[in-house]
Amino acid sequence: MIVLSPLRKFTYPITAECINPDVFQGKEISEIAKLPVFEGNKPKTLSDLFKVEKDNLDTPTITINGDVSEVRRIGIGMKKGEIIINGNVGMHLGEKMMGEKITVNGNASQWAGCSMKKGTIEIHGNAGDYLASPYRGSTDGMKGGKIVVDGDVGADSGCYLQGGLIKIKGNNTGQFLGFHMSKGTIHVEKNASTRLGANMTGGKIIVSGTLEELMPSFTIDTVKAKVKVDETESAAGPFYVFLGDLAEKGTGKIFASKANNPQLKSYEKYL
Amino acid sequence: MSIIKSVTCPICGCLCDDIELTVEKNEVVKVRNGCAICESKFIGYKGHHRVKTPLMRKDGKLVPVSMDEAVHATAEILANANYPILYGWSSTSSEAQRVGVELTEEVGGIMDNTAVVCHGPSILGVQEVGIPTCTLGQIRHRADLIIYWGCDPWSAHPRHLERYTSFTEGRFENSEWKAFMQKLKAQAGQKKLESAARIEIGSTHPKPQTCTVPGMPQSMNKSGRKLIVVDVRKTMSAEMADYFIQVQPNKDYELMQALRVLVNDGELDVDSVAGVPVEYLKDVADALVNCEFGVIFFGMGLTQTAGKFRNIEIAIQLVRDLNSRTKFTIMPMRGHFNVTGANVVSAWQSGYPYGVDFSLGYPRYNPGETTCMDVLLREENDASLVIASDPGANFPKKAVENMIKHPLIVIDPHMNATSMLADIVFPSAFVGIEVEGTAYRMDHVPLPLKKVVEPPKGVLSDEEILTKILEEVKVIKSSSKKSTKKVEA
Amino acid sequence: MTEVIIKNGFVFDPINGVKGENMDISIKNGKIVQKVTHNAKVIDATGLTVMPGGVDIHTHIAGGEVNTGRMIRPEDHVKDTVSKTAMTRSGTGYSIPSTFVTGYRYSQMGYTTVMNPSMAPLEAKHTHEELNDIPLVDKATYPLVGDWWFVLEYLRKGDLEECARHVAWMMDITKGYAIKIVNPGGLESWGFGRNVHSIDDQVPNFCITPREIMVGLAKVNEMLNLPHSIHLHTNNLGLPGNYSTTLETMKALEKVPYNGKPVAHITHLQFSSFGGDGWGNFKSAAEEISSYINAHNHLTFDMGQIIFTDTTTMTADGPFEFTLYQLSGHKWVNSDVETETSGGIIPFQYKKNNAVNATQWSIGLELALLIKDPWKMMMTTDHPNAGPFFSYPRILAWLTSKNARMATLKNCNKKAQKKSLLPSIDREITLYELAIMTRAAQAKALGLKHKGHLGVGADADVAIFNINPETTDIARKYKTARKAFKNAAYTIKDGQIVVKDGEVVGHADGRTMWLNVKTAEPCRIDEEMKSKFHQYWTVDYDNYPVSDHYVKVKDPITIKASV
Repeated sequence: MIVLSPLRKFTYPITAECINPDVFQGKEISEIAKLPVFEGNKPKTLSDLFKVEKDNLDTPTITINGDVSEVRRIGIGMKKGEIIINGNVGMHLGEKMMGEKITVNGNASQWAGCSMKKGTIEIHGNAGDYLASPYRGSTDGMKGGKIVVDGDVGADSGCYLQGGLIKIKGNNTGQFLGFHMSKGTIHVEKNASTRLGANMTGGKIIVSGTLEELMPSFTIDTVKAKVKVDETESAAGPFYVFLGDLAEKGTGKIFASKANNPQLKSYEKYL
Repeated sequence: MSIIKSVTCPICGCLCDDIELTVEKNEVVKVRNGCAICESKFIGYKGHHRVKTPLMRKDGKLVPVSMDEAVHATAEILANANYPILYGWSSTSSEAQRVGVELTEEVGGIMDNTAVVCHGPSILGVQEVGIPTCTLGQIRHRADLIIYWGCDPWSAHPRHLERYTSFTEGRFENSEWKAFMQKLKAQAGQKKLESAARIEIGSTHPKPQTCTVPGMPQSMNKSGRKLIVVDVRKTMSAEMADYFIQVQPNKDYELMQALRVLVNDGELDVDSVAGVPVEYLKDVADALVNCEFGVIFFGMGLTQTAGKFRNIEIAIQLVRDLNSRTKFTIMPMRGHFNVTGANVVSAWQSGYPYGVDFSLGYPRYNPGETTCMDVLLREENDASLVIASDPGANFPKKAVENMIKHPLIVIDPHMNATSMLADIVFPSAFVGIEVEGTAYRMDHVPLPLKKVVEPPKGVLSDEEILTKILEEVKVIKSSSKKSTKKVEA
Repeated sequence: MTEVIIKNGFVFDPINGVKGENMDISIKNGKIVQKVTHNAKVIDATGLTVMPGGVDIHTHIAGGEVNTGRMIRPEDHVKDTVSKTAMTRSGTGYSIPSTFVTGYRYSQMGYTTVMNPSMAPLEAKHTHEELNDIPLVDKATYPLVGDWWFVLEYLRKGDLEECARHVAWMMDITKGYAIKIVNPGGLESWGFGRNVHSIDDQVPNFCITPREIMVGLAKVNEMLNLPHSIHLHTNNLGLPGNYSTTLETMKALEKVPYNGKPVAHITHLQFSSFGGDGWGNFKSAAEEISSYINAHNHLTFDMGQIIFTDTTTMTADGPFEFTLYQLSGHKWVNSDVETETSGGIIPFQYKKNNAVNATQWSIGLELALLIKDPWKMMMTTDHPNAGPFFSYPRILAWLTSKNARMATLKNCNKKAQKKSLLPSIDREITLYELAIMTRAAQAKALGLKHKGHLGVGADADVAIFNINPETTDIARKYKTARKAFKNAAYTIKDGQIVVKDGEVVGHADGRTMWLNVKTAEPCRIDEEMKSKFHQYWTVDYDNYPVSDHYVKVKDPITIKASV
């Protein structure tokens, strides 16, 4: 396993696509040290910014010890191996990831897991905006894999979700969680903000806590005692089940905890 | 004395090009056809805030320096910076904007324009769903339903209605000016009666305006153009409307989504949305679907409230849905007279409309990551050049604080809030008054800007100043490459 | 006094009847000359193919619509970035490259002249500003005239002469090169969300038919002696069964007096050659269309060949773009321009396993192979509508090699494979015919006297490719040929080497050409006309024309009209 420790606090954005188990694979430590990165607009090498060490564990794992909140594009498109970050990490973490695992013992910045296809990302702190969401103008949402965030997530997360699971355990999500999703599952263990599932056409969002406000373009379908989150887990209800988004003639489902959402009682008359 | 006709006004996105100026002894003495803002600019631009020579901060004070010294110092700062920002661009010509792109590319920085605090969200929305739009003349000729949503043209684009919408004569639709004047007379009469009633009762305080949402009035059934205004409060534009819809603040998204459901013949499970009863919304949906040609103009009420670019996205989706039933278009009310040009030039040269990051040697774009506001709030930049805008006055405090921690260069005709904080100041000529150029109207129509008077002696155009800086930067960069080579050898 | 000599190449110069002969090409001061002194710079073209620089008669590269396309597709740019070098500016692709990249990529393929085929006159300044930023190639642009209110009104009145004067005036003030007509009558109808469905439908509010517009403007074109014919995008483009409209259109144009010079150019013909009557039984009508073309000489065409990729469609045909939106649900731009035209943009993916797309792909090639005379049918993709222009080498391979076509066809949708005529077509376009379809025919159709050939007096625009026609069988070695066409060994612009081995090594701004049409009487611009102008447009008459300021390198061509 390779261990990277930032040599100093970074003020300019660091673009470091090379920090990727697929890239490090098969390279000597001296080669890894010379891999190119950018600090602002200056081309540098990895060893200009990090202490690069190898320990005697022969695993395709990269461990980063320290604050890398300015370091962007770590783990892009990775297929094999693991990255463990002991600190806060910058934008585009694990974008288009195709396998194995990233663990963040800290916060992740925006666009973590953007358009990911497979693999697991665990963020033990908070995640920024656009978690798992595709790039501007693209509808290439997350297609598979699993993202678990212990803290809060920012706005516009899980947009165009097309498969896989996003679990949010923190107190808050931002607006537009699950925007235009068509498949896949989002489980909000606590509270969800406004415009949840706007424009969704399929898939499901489960809110075990409070739903701040339901879009007017959802209609009540039924009440369910529990709902499957994935193969290993179910969420305990009872849940109001809403169907929508009607503006898209969607058949997505929002499960909102009945106990925690008394304000939704008025929908019962339509059942 | 001379009279210059067909002058394009360099203020707002209307880009009225029928202004007539009387010029005497190198001063504009009379303005015809312009609105109050236009007139105040052409007459008042020579105020005492005018900068006459380049300035540099020495021992804490801005002192006059030569152009060469200012250019050289600027070029050194930008050429050596790690992550410079070049911001503004909205009140200058496309000719200057082109030099700006090249300069930013050369120094490996970010080129960003005022869209980032204005209609940036509109561009983001368009990038998600496209936009069914047209030029303003199509509105003039064809529109029978005009909606201003979250904007107040009466204040910000004063001639918009008389040139392009309700109060203009088109080939297929007439002006509603007469009907409006009659309505005003009737309203004035009504107000007199109400005022008299209050005096009688002896109260000196006018009754507080209660937020009542009325249903669709009879006037919406008339033939001829109809005007709807949607806003959180009754603006002057709302006073002119046939129907004013008061939406709860930050709830435009819900309102538009509800309208989409209704326009697509769906039903809603709720009684009201955003403070508007659903039965009234059904009338609105009918009006939208039954018009011959509808248009929504929108502004900061949508771009800068909760939802931001998604508000624009949903407005566009509503208009898209309406196109299956009738003809409908949508257009952003661009503010600065050439912010559209800044987006247009940036897009044709780099592919992207604003927030273009050249630090890796090729253009990258990701608002939130490469837009200067975010870069400043994260304090990632180490130099700034500000041109044709005033972020010192309108950026968040933290962003301005971070901006001035590092070298700041300003190019502007006036001593504005940003220049007062700068390290280097270049005086520039007013585009559209003292120097000619090209600007792009809110509907992307390019218009020529005239030079009607001479600039003060020694004051150059933005294009000339930027070109000087660019040349100097190229010299610095090529000599540093040579010296690097020498060192390697 | 720069002299260059290209020695010993295999020269293909169809306009001058040169069919791969071994000869030298001499250049002096940017022009082809008879011979040069021994001081000339020598380019050794031994074993290489030498052709005139490529000429593209129809490619959407500049202007309001193209740029809006760029603005709405950041996700398209991000997959194709171009870094700055000492010689070149940075930029992005993919389907709608930024301006600098457009020039570089065309030049890298050996092109030296490109025509932007669609310009709303009101936005002409924008088009020219962008053309100025497309380096290494000469360029021109065609104003959209077919639904222009003045044209509709004069044609309805039957006043061809006044119409001609107006068109001449408009060509000059927009700095345009040819009369462009798109879905005639349909664009004005789209102003209220309607369309025309046959060439004899009445255009709402204007009492004129598409037939009258096309024939009228073709006659106006003759009266004005414009170097190119009218450039026409047919009605009902993109709809199943539209080949009958195309046939009617071609027949209608037989009425225009023909004196040996074609009376119309029908562009991206593939999109107008659809059979069947719905998407379910969609099929090719290439046989019917090419049959007609083989028997008539009054028209020229270009392919509009499909490439299987993710591209962007953009045309002035607003109603058609709306149809694509209804089919695909993709993000959609509509961009109508007052008094002049409509427009639309939508991203589109052509997929091999889609029966319709695969048939479309086959149609373009069928047309090119079944039309016997290569001077009639030119190679384009209607960039970016059917595919990005830098896919041209693929098309050249398909045209010249049956193996190449079959290799692609066998991966296509099975239904489309069965319907395709390609298995029964053995014709393989020769290198000489290729030179016709990619430069000589295009220059001839455009009336560009100094382009598309290497005769004395021509502009010294030359493309040299790594193909030895004596030793390389391009029909068999189509991958080699494709590679050679992708990266020219040399591209020479006005006698200067600008590309070497596919890399940009020189700079040239390129010239913008336009027509200065001199009618016997000028167009009547009096107060009445100016006031009408003021009613029709939202800009003042004085601000409408494109001044010389907007063209960096000017190359106006004076034309004497017969009216």
